Amino acid sequence: MAGSNEVNANESKMVVPLNTWVLISNFKLAYNMLRRPDGTFDRHLAEFLDRKVPANAFPVNGVISFDLLIDRATNLLARIYRPAPTAPPDSHRPSLHADLQSPPSPDPFPVIIFFHGGSFAHSSSNSAIYDSLCRRFVSLCGAVVISVNYRRSPEHRYPCAYDDGWTALKWASTEPWLHSGKDAKLRVFLSGDSSGGNIAHHVAVRAAESGIEVSGNILLNPMFGGNQRTESENTLDGKYFVTVQDRYWYWKAFLPEGADRDHPACNPFGPNGMKLEELPFTKTLVTVAGLDLTRDWQLAYAEGLEKAGHDVKLVYREQATIGFYFLPNTDHFYEVMEEIKNFVSSNC
Amino acid sequence: MGPYPFGSGTAASGWAAADSGPQCSASEIDGLLAGAGYRVRSSDLLHVAHSLERLESAIGGGPADHLASAEAVRYNPSDLTTWVNSILSELSSSLPPLRPPPAAPVAGTWPDLTCFSLPYPQYQTAVIAATRQREEEEGSAIRLVHLLVTCADAVQRGDSGLAGNIIEEMRVVLTRVNTGFGIGKVAGYFVDALCRRIYSPCSSSSSASVAGSAADQEILYHHFYEVSPYLKFAHFMANQAILEAFDGYDRVHVIDFNLMDGLQWPALIQALALRAGGPPFLRLTGIGPPSPDGRDALREVGLRLAELALSVRVRFAFRGVAASRIDDVRPWMLQVVPGEAVAVNSVLQLHRLLGDPGDDAAAPIDSVLGWIVRIQPKIVTVVEQEADHNRPSFLDRFTEALFYYSTMFDSLEAGGGATQKQQQAVAEVYLQREVCNIVCCEGAARVERHEPLVRWRARLGRAGLRAVHLGSNAFKQASMLLTLFSGEGYCVEEVDGCLTLGWHSRPLISASAWRADADVAPLPDSQLFNPGIAATINSTSISGNDNNNTNNFQSMHHGSGNGNAAANNQQNNATCDGGVIGL
Repeated sequence: MAGSNEVNANESKMVVPLNTWVLISNFKLAYNMLRRPDGTFDRHLAEFLDRKVPANAFPVNGVISFDLLIDRATNLLARIYRPAPTAPPDSHRPSLHADLQSPPSPDPFPVIIFFHGGSFAHSSSNSAIYDSLCRRFVSLCGAVVISVNYRRSPEHRYPCAYDDGWTALKWASTEPWLHSGKDAKLRVFLSGDSSGGNIAHHVAVRAAESGIEVSGNILLNPMFGGNQRTESENTLDGKYFVTVQDRYWYWKAFLPEGADRDHPACNPFGPNGMKLEELPFTKTLVTVAGLDLTRDWQLAYAEGLEKAGHDVKLVYREQATIGFYFLPNTDHFYEVMEEIKNFVSSNC
Repeated sequence: MGPYPFGSGTAASGWAAADSGPQCSASEIDGLLAGAGYRVRSSDLLHVAHSLERLESAIGGGPADHLASAEAVRYNPSDLTTWVNSILSELSSSLPPLRPPPAAPVAGTWPDLTCFSLPYPQYQTAVIAATRQREEEEGSAIRLVHLLVTCADAVQRGDSGLAGNIIEEMRVVLTRVNTGFGIGKVAGYFVDALCRRIYSPCSSSSSASVAGSAADQEILYHHFYEVSPYLKFAHFMANQAILEAFDGYDRVHVIDFNLMDGLQWPALIQALALRAGGPPFLRLTGIGPPSPDGRDALREVGLRLAELALSVRVRFAFRGVAASRIDDVRPWMLQVVPGEAVAVNSVLQLHRLLGDPGDDAAAPIDSVLGWIVRIQPKIVTVVEQEADHNRPSFLDRFTEALFYYSTMFDSLEAGGGATQKQQQAVAEVYLQREVCNIVCCEGAARVERHEPLVRWRARLGRAGLRAVHLGSNAFKQASMLLTLFSGEGYCVEEVDGCLTLGWHSRPLISASAWRADADVAPLPDSQLFNPGIAATINSTSISGNDNNNTNNFQSMHHGSGNGNAAANNQQNNATCDGGVIGL
């Protein structure tokens, strides 16, 4: 349908800078190649096309990173980002290398467990776009960031990604160097974009059920949906890089066989959702992009949290599209980063 | 769209371009996209955008998985301009014609579209030519591997006529591939080695010429050490194990089976210096080949290490033991002192003591392992190549080596920039010599008898050694060590308490630590050390005055109760170097 494509391209061109348009359009093209109509996914090609960066224990702009295997049983890797360690004042230590797993400061510091996006199927903790974002979080908040390399669909469906997120949270709670302050507490924030935001929510629910205290959730354009067709899905379909059909594909690949999009993983405040009223659920900062076709589901999520009596701050960027947080070239980017910084510092 | 430029500044982390600086020049790479892993010139951005639009039109709204089979999809994704254009070229016949630019440019967003031009036919022919060349090269590479294996088979069957013919053919094929990297390069080395085997068979003397002088070997080793993580990993793991085994001991003694440049030891000396409770008295006995031309290489290394130890205030004593082969070394030469904690360190040495499989009686490995165990070391650190290059069948060995060294060379190629390339070339010679030894030599001349960890486990177990678990901390630290390298394909794995380092899930080197079983009888004192010597070391302060010490040492030797060998015994090739250097 060449005609409608022409309109689509023109509309998205008008709201994002050229390099952002190229970046996200390129993702769209590549992702279209990877999804097969029969529900399978070309994982080899996906890994080949994904631009990855290695971890780097040499400081770059004061931030270092290293990869850790945090669970042998599932080969769960995480990339840890932290401020570059300073030389210890006195060095009565036998270890041969600088202590990467030491507290970055004597004062309380936040730990951000980050789940990258990719609609449950794409990207990894070593994807270049997410490496950049996590490094930014370190500088922004003085945080240690743990980017979890969770298992992806369609090879690993619900609840694998949530299990991996939970494993990461439990791991962090047993690492002494991540605890800070006079009360030696883990000041942990769960965070993610797109599917990562969805994972952060569900891990936070498990944390609330299990009595692990989470200082806050930071969800960037979190991925939610449902069986209904919302207004934003109708009006924005195909206009800003994303189509309703591709959303459906990713949910089908993630949810259990036979489940529909009112499954609580996809629609936590839908007909099969869990009641969160009684739970000590954490505070949440949610960003919603006005030009994201799943906008209505995200707004419903924020409303659902509020109705359940939980603290929610909604940051609504009317003219933003998906992926506005990848490149630091818009007001959306800088203003949202500022919101995140304030949220973390006031809840740490 | 706001005051933000397209991107400028360093690509290291993308977000470094946060400051809104001046608009970067058109020929520069867009810094923000570079941070996302894509190299696109700012001046090409518009063109790439249009290409993406064209591709989208071609796909329509439906599934695009059929595009995945396009050849161009597997071109370098970072070079986005070429990637997108190549896919477009491949689909060119089915694309609609270029859309004319809109009548009125959209104000305030993208600039005038009239600069847009796509030299279509040129792209097309260039892409097709590149594709043909790549196919040809791939075909040649596969052919080379086939020819190599066929040639090795002919060699094994003794058909040197056929083998010679195949070599000629391989030389021809090599002219059609890029021998600067990849399979072309590796194949070149193996063809050379086969050639040497057929036309100048190995004898002890020629193996020496293949191996080169000890000084050359040190240079090659040093370069190999620099450009890849394998030796660093080995040293690091061994040092960790040694450090832990030395915990709580005031007098420690490291016996290094191949001192070389002493690269492994500064780190250990520094770690001991920082030890809680203060450093122990460290003795290092370095074994190495005798130096020609009146040089005393071992002592030079010992002197340098002594200086370092002095600077960090670690009491240190060094002894060099010159021996062409480890099995020429006798325990008494090591001067083990009662009460000291001993560590035996063997990095890529034990395999040299093996013989042909099945012919174990003739191999010196068992007697060497025997005395190692009986000096009751607190720890024995063993690093070996993770490969089976000691199989009885030549063809098996050859094929194994081809795949092992292909992987190894691959990993070297993945490393750094221009200066690294020169070092890399020298490091490759180091590996090339191993290849030559495996392919060309037989009998005593073949020393690169690599065996996999699983067989070393059995062998060391039979000798009375038990594995010491290297621990998850060592694994973690090894993984951290790897993050210092830019090659992303390295992987550390843990196998029953031992660690391996490999490239893309093929383990290439293993590190393990062992201790003697409690119920193994120690060597009798007369074989182990001379009580007279021990008394001297304990009571006198060891000065740096070499002449005195040399004299003392030699006189002690002659007075030794053990009749086995004196300093200059012709029977065995080991001499104990004079000069116990200390603080």
